[in-house]
Amino acid sequence: MSEHGELQGEFVELFLSGDSEAASARARQVIDEGVVSAVHFFEGVFSPAMEIIGGKFGRLEIFLPELMDAADMAKGVSENVIQPRLIEATGVGVPTHGTVLLASVRGDLHDIGKNMVALMLQVNGFGVIDMGVDVGSRVILDRAVEVKADIIGLSALMTTSTPYMKEVVDMLKGLGLKDRFAVIVGGAPLTPAFAREIGADAYGKNAPDAVAQCLALMDRPKPAR
Amino acid sequence: MRHRGRLLDVLDRAENGPLIDEKEFEGRLVAQTAKRLIGKHGLKCNAETVIPADDAQADRLFEAGLEFAVEVGMLCTNTLRRIVWTRQEYEESLRYAPHEAILGAGADAAFVQSRMPEASTRLMVVGGPFGVGVPENLFVPLMLSYARESLIDVIDNPTLERVYGRPGKAASPWEVLGGWREAELSMQVVAQAGRPGMCIAGVELSPTALGEISASSWGGFRPTDLHHVAGVSEFKTNYESLSKIAHVTRIGGAIYAFMASIYGGYMGGAEGVALGLTAAGIVLNQNYMPTVMSLSSVHPFLQCTTTRELLWAFSMASQALSRNTRLIFSSLVRPSAGPGTKGVLYENAAFGVMGTVSGQSFIQSSMTASGTHARHASGLDARMSAEASLAALGMSREEANQLVLRILEVYEPWVEMRDVGQPFEEVYDLLTISPTPSWQATYDEVKEHLIRLGLALPAAC
Repeated sequence: MSEHGELQGEFVELFLSGDSEAASARARQVIDEGVVSAVHFFEGVFSPAMEIIGGKFGRLEIFLPELMDAADMAKGVSENVIQPRLIEATGVGVPTHGTVLLASVRGDLHDIGKNMVALMLQVNGFGVIDMGVDVGSRVILDRAVEVKADIIGLSALMTTSTPYMKEVVDMLKGLGLKDRFAVIVGGAPLTPAFAREIGADAYGKNAPDAVAQCLALMDRPKPAR
Repeated sequence: MRHRGRLLDVLDRAENGPLIDEKEFEGRLVAQTAKRLIGKHGLKCNAETVIPADDAQADRLFEAGLEFAVEVGMLCTNTLRRIVWTRQEYEESLRYAPHEAILGAGADAAFVQSRMPEASTRLMVVGGPFGVGVPENLFVPLMLSYARESLIDVIDNPTLERVYGRPGKAASPWEVLGGWREAELSMQVVAQAGRPGMCIAGVELSPTALGEISASSWGGFRPTDLHHVAGVSEFKTNYESLSKIAHVTRIGGAIYAFMASIYGGYMGGAEGVALGLTAAGIVLNQNYMPTVMSLSSVHPFLQCTTTRELLWAFSMASQALSRNTRLIFSSLVRPSAGPGTKGVLYENAAFGVMGTVSGQSFIQSSMTASGTHARHASGLDARMSAEASLAALGMSREEANQLVLRILEVYEPWVEMRDVGQPFEEVYDLLTISPTPSWQATYDEVKEHLIRLGLALPAAC
């Protein structure tokens, strides 16, 4: 068991308990009483606990409603307890792995798979901006620039929407923006070969795999913006 | 159809129902209502009994589904309005919903009717790849492999990967042309199969209303064909689907309504899926006024429907609906394995037996290899479902449960391996449209094994 293993387990249970006040109160107590510093709480307790919860969903030991509740509670603890203490201690807030802009491309109205990916990314420490479904290619690009996204995640369940994934990548190239964003694609009819063919940087087989792929994309050396 | 008189009411309510944010609808209303009703009605999955014979739980599930339909309704994502109805309105619509239908025309017409669990009435069979991607040059041979199967009554199309050699882009002129191309090729299939009046289920290439509305006009798909209208998970609809309903209503066409409840999604686990499927039957009947319905679910990571928990959920929901309504419904089988493998045959046999004894009205087979691999589908996949269904007519749920557990023992270890098998052109002779000797031999071998396991299939020739 890691240094903070017991606390990790305790917070996994708290985040899955549905009792947000208890989770916030315990986080406050642990940091304020000096059991661990705010930095160590974030890195050694909070983040690993959320990864464990993500793993539970990946094995379907919990389902989407529990994952949503845990993510909501974690957001509350992060914003109300960790963030102010981190700023006080280090001058900066809660770090994220990066920002992922997610959208189902034009013509695709399916969203539950994308929503699962969004939640899994959130509980694994990514900032997520979810643009919803049936989003036009140019709108996706403009928003990615506006929010300075690191990764653009494109979802499609319909074969007939996959040409719009290529359109997004082609537009990025054509407008000289490709180096600024990594592109990951996912959805039932897609394959790694399709992702390569259209010039995407990664393919996420399912929600847990999408998280692994996004972490790998963030580890790649990035050109200066 | 007599219940389509509700069309204007449905559209009015989509404009004037209670407002709700989409995330609030699915994340709070759907998820929390499901959780509460599962607890209130004591719904409990026992995955050791994949085909339960628990009438009391089936009836409690139906009651929970009806309460869910009243409390949640259906969200129109364009207006952010919930389409809601009272319990009395739902009950009235269920009472007078069509309980039998004739699909197709002339000598090729097929009859489908509502059924009860353990009934011995034959199920209609819809065979096809259900949206699996296919290149234009393989559309006709692939679909002939279904249309030439004498046990198959209706065919359901694949999705064309290209339209006249170009990508079939959604919400564009390519979707319009794609719908027409699909109709043109479908008519070629039924003519060549010698079944010109055979009912065709499409338009597959219609992610928006464009494909359906253009290709279901004069010279394209016919009113006697089945016209797809899908709901969006979970319990959502939109102007695209409602436009399709409006159009098909005015051409007097048959509506094939779809909705899926994803395992592990907003509805939760197996109990939630069972509740979702039951409520979907009630809500779709009310708002889509369909001729027939497809109530589906899928495993979120394996993308198949044949796991133990899902079999339980499908069986329970089918029993709930068939015991308490006269709706015409079915569930689409999505085997994990693909053509040329033994796995697809065992999975389809188990699912066919489950659906038949649980009171489903027709067979839908099959979105092979979980529907994720283009060209991975074949007529033999569907023949197994049809033969298994025939062999299970009149079987008790207890006997079927023991049988399906034995079949599960065979394929369950393979499901996660996702052996997608071979594409159509490698398992069928494209000139004669017959299975290759190897694929036929595999079929015959599995059939013999299923007979030994207790499924009374007609012996292989």
